Amino acid sequence: MDFVGKRGWFFVTSLLVIAPGIVFLIIAPGLKPGIDFTGGSAVTLEFQDDVTQTPLREELADLGYPDATIQKLESNTFFIRTKELSGAAKESMIASLESTLSPSGVLELSFYLVSPVVASETVLNAVYAVLAAAVGIFFYVWWAFRNVPSPFRYGLAAIAALVHDAVIVIGIFAILGVVADIEVGTMFLIAILTVIGYSVNDTIVVFDRIRENVLTYPNRELAEVVNLSISETIGRSLNTSLTLLFTLMAMILFGGATIREFLLVLLVGVVAGTYSSIGLASQLLVSWEYGDLRRILGRRSSEAAATA
Amino acid sequence: MRRYGRTVVIIAVLVVLAGLALGFQTINIGNFERGSDTPLGLSLGLDLQGGSHLVYEADLRDPETNERLEVTEDQMESLKRTIERRVNSSGLGEPIIQLLDSDRLLIQLPGVTDPERAKSLIGETALLEFKHRQLAVPRDIEEITQDDVLGITVDLLADPDAATTTAAATSTPAAVDDDPVVLMVEFSESGVIEFRTVLDRLMGSFLTASAQQQTGRIPPVPSLLNVTVEGVQQLRFDATVLTIAPIGTSTTYAIGFPVDSVTGEPPTIEEARSQVGDEAKIFFTEIQSYVDEDIGLTGEKLSRAFPSQHGGSGAPIVNIEFDDEGTRIFGKLTEDIVIKQEATGQSDQIAIFLDDEELISPVVQTAITAGTAIIQGRDFTLERVRDISLLLESGRLPIPITLIQERDVDAILGEDSLAKSVVAGAVGLGLVLLFMTAYYRLPGLLASIALIIYATLVLGIFKMLPVTLTLSGVAAAILSIGMAVDANILIFERMKDELRAGRTLLSAINIGFDRAWPAIRDGNVSTLITCGILFWFADQLGATIVQGFAATLAIGVVVSMFSAITISRTLLRLASMTRLTRSLTWWTPSGASGLPQQATAAEQRS
Repeated sequence: MDFVGKRGWFFVTSLLVIAPGIVFLIIAPGLKPGIDFTGGSAVTLEFQDDVTQTPLREELADLGYPDATIQKLESNTFFIRTKELSGAAKESMIASLESTLSPSGVLELSFYLVSPVVASETVLNAVYAVLAAAVGIFFYVWWAFRNVPSPFRYGLAAIAALVHDAVIVIGIFAILGVVADIEVGTMFLIAILTVIGYSVNDTIVVFDRIRENVLTYPNRELAEVVNLSISETIGRSLNTSLTLLFTLMAMILFGGATIREFLLVLLVGVVAGTYSSIGLASQLLVSWEYGDLRRILGRRSSEAAATA
Repeated sequence: MRRYGRTVVIIAVLVVLAGLALGFQTINIGNFERGSDTPLGLSLGLDLQGGSHLVYEADLRDPETNERLEVTEDQMESLKRTIERRVNSSGLGEPIIQLLDSDRLLIQLPGVTDPERAKSLIGETALLEFKHRQLAVPRDIEEITQDDVLGITVDLLADPDAATTTAAATSTPAAVDDDPVVLMVEFSESGVIEFRTVLDRLMGSFLTASAQQQTGRIPPVPSLLNVTVEGVQQLRFDATVLTIAPIGTSTTYAIGFPVDSVTGEPPTIEEARSQVGDEAKIFFTEIQSYVDEDIGLTGEKLSRAFPSQHGGSGAPIVNIEFDDEGTRIFGKLTEDIVIKQEATGQSDQIAIFLDDEELISPVVQTAITAGTAIIQGRDFTLERVRDISLLLESGRLPIPITLIQERDVDAILGEDSLAKSVVAGAVGLGLVLLFMTAYYRLPGLLASIALIIYATLVLGIFKMLPVTLTLSGVAAAILSIGMAVDANILIFERMKDELRAGRTLLSAINIGFDRAWPAIRDGNVSTLITCGILFWFADQLGATIVQGFAATLAIGVVVSMFSAITISRTLLRLASMTRLTRSLTWWTPSGASGLPQQATAAEQRS
C-alpha cells in the first residue's frame, strides 16, 4: 500500500479532526472545569429509606448533577459534592430525591460551600511538567537516531505527534463540554498524561523500523523506506491498539460509571496515538525531506485556486 | 535446559516472593509492616478505597474573654497548606483537604487504620514551647520554720524493721551498716505535714529519673534535700530520698548522717554527737532537680523543622530553623546555657513541650546565634526524627482547630462502581490474553503467562514499597501493561519475519528479540525520561497527582522491560527445547503458512 503518497490526505484528516476542537477551545468556554478545580457545594444527606449509591448517582445525573461525587458515610448517609448550589437549588434537589428514592424523608445533616480539591495552579504546573518532558523526549529521540541523516527531524516529528494527540483529546472534550455538558477534572489530567505516554511509545516503534530500514537500504529514497516501514509495522500497530481498544471498550461498556470519562479519554487517545505515528510523525519526515510546505506555498502563489 | 537454569531460578524466586507478598494479607517482620484489609493488602488511595472523614472547625479565641473570633480567608488558606504539607510528608497518602464555608476544614485521609495517629499528625491545637531547663535550682522551704522542729538528736537507727514502713527506706545504702548513725529530727504536727510534702516531691523526681534511665535517656540528677545543721560545728550535706526514713508513724524522721569528707567513712556515734551538740538548729533547702523557665519561645517563632541525616556520621537528626525573633531568643538561651556551664559545670537543657507534654530535652553544646540548629539523640531512628519533626511543625498551626466530626467514608469513585470496573477490566485483560494466544499461538500463550507474572511482580512491588495506588497509579499500570503487551507483539512480529526467512526456531527467537530490542528500549527509555521529568517538576511545583502517576509508571515500565526481555524470552527458549518444536504451526500466527510469499510481494510493491 502506498501510505506516503497519500500524506496530503493524512494531513487534511488530522486538520479536520483538530480544527473544530481548537475552535471550541478558543471560543469560550473552552474546557469546562469540573468541581475538582472550581469547588462547589457539599451536602450531607441521611435517607430514611434504604438507598444505595448507584441509584443515587443515576438520580443526581437526571437532576443535572452528572459530575457529583458521592461518598457513603454510613448506610443511607451520603456526603455529596456538586457544583455550587443555591439554597433553592439544594431544596429542590432534596425534594426530588425524597420523592423518587426515599418517600419516608431525607434529612439534611450539613450544607457547605467547598473550596477546590486541586488548586488551578496544579493544572498549570502539570502543563509545565509536560512541556519539560516533551523537551526531554525530543533530545532523547534526537540522540537515539543519531546514526540516520537529520536525526533532529525525528525528534521534532515525535513531539508534533504528541502535541497532535493531546490537542485532539483536549479539543474533543472542549466540544463535549458544550454539546454534552462534560466537565474535566483531575481524572482528565491523568488520562492526558497517559495518552502522551502512549503516543510517544507508539511513534518510536514506527520510527525504529524507519531507522533500521534507512540503514539497511541506504540507497533507497526516504519516501520508499518510510512506506516500507509503515507496511511492516502496521500489523503490530493495529494489533497493539486493538488489544487496548478492546480492553477499554469492555471497561466503558461494563464497568462502573465513575471512571467512564477517564476511559473515554484513553480510548480517543489510543486511536489518535496510533493514527499519528503512521499518519503524522512518519509523513512529516517525508514532507520535510521533499520540502512539501515550500512546494505548497510556491504553488499557492502561482496558482490562485490551489488545494492541498 | 541448563543454560537458562539460573535465569529460570531467578524468575521463579521473584515470582514466589511476589506471590507470597500478595498472598499474605498483612506482613510483619520486626519493624517492617505492610498490608491492610484491602484487596491483596495493597495500599489504596482515597478514590479507590475510602478512609477517614474529619471535619475541623477554626477555634480562634480572644485570650482574655475566651470569645470566638472571626478567622480570615488567609488564615484558613495557610492552615490548609500547613496541614496539607504535614499529611503529605507523613506518608499517609494523598489526602483531600477542602475548606468548608469560611471557618471549617474537611480532611479525608485514605485508608487510615489508625485514626489516632492521623489526628495527632493533624495536630489540633498544639502549643509548642521551648523552655530553659535549669538544673539543680535551690528552693527555700519556707513552710518549715524553726518552731516546727521540736528536737534534733544523734542516734543509731537501731531497729531496721522500723524503717521498712516505706519503700524508700528498704533500700537504705549499705554504707551505713547494721546500726547506721542518723539525725533524729522531731517535727511538730504541722511541720511534719510540710516535711512529708517535700519528701513526696523528692520521691516523684527520683522515680521519674529512674524511669528515664531505664529508657536510655540521660535524666537530670533527682531532686535533693540540702540539710544544714548549726551545731558545735556547721554541717551541710545533701540527702536523697533514700537516706530519709520515718520512725514508726510518729512525727520523727531519721536522716542518714553524711560520710566524713576526708576519710569517706561514716562517723561513729560519738563523733557525730560531738559535732552536733545539744543546741543545734536545722535548716532545709530543696535542690530541685530542674526548673523549666518560660523564655517566650513558642512554635510560631519556629519557621521550619525537618528530618535529615548527619552529614558526617549519617545519624538521623532533626533540623530546626527560627525566624528573626526566634533566632534572637534562641541565641540568648544557648549563650546563657554555655556561660552557666563554664561557670558551674552544669549542663542546662532546652526542654521542648507540645501541649505541656515533654517532647525532647536536648543539651546544648555551643551557643547558636544563626537561628538554625540540629538535634541529635542516642535513641533517634529515622522514624523518630520524622515524627519529632512533624510534631515540631505541628506546633506551628496558624490557628487552633477542633475536631467536630469524624466518620469513615467510602471510595470517591464509589465501591459499587469500582467493583464493576475491576470485573470489566479483568474480562478485558482476559480477552487480550485470549487474542494473543489465538493469533500468535504458542508464543502468545507464553507471553500471556509472562504478562501474568508481570502483573504479580508489579503488584508485589507496589505492596512492599509501598506505593499507594490511586486512579492515576492504575492509569500508569494500564499504560505499562499496554507497553508490555506491545513489546511482546513486537518480538513475535519479528520472530514471524525470521521464520518466514527460513531460519530455525531457536535462531528466529534470538534474532527476533535482538531486532525488537531497539524499539522496546527507545520506547521504554523515553517513557522513563518522561517519568523522571514529570516527577521532578511535579515535586518542585507541588502537583502530587502527577508525581504519583510518574512514580508508578516508572516502576511499571522497568518491570515491563524485564518481563518482555527476560521472562518471555526464557519461556520461549525453554519451549523451543521441548517436543513443542515438532509442529511449526504452533509457533506461527494464524494463516501464516502463505506469508513468506506475501512478504516478498509487499517488498516488491514498495
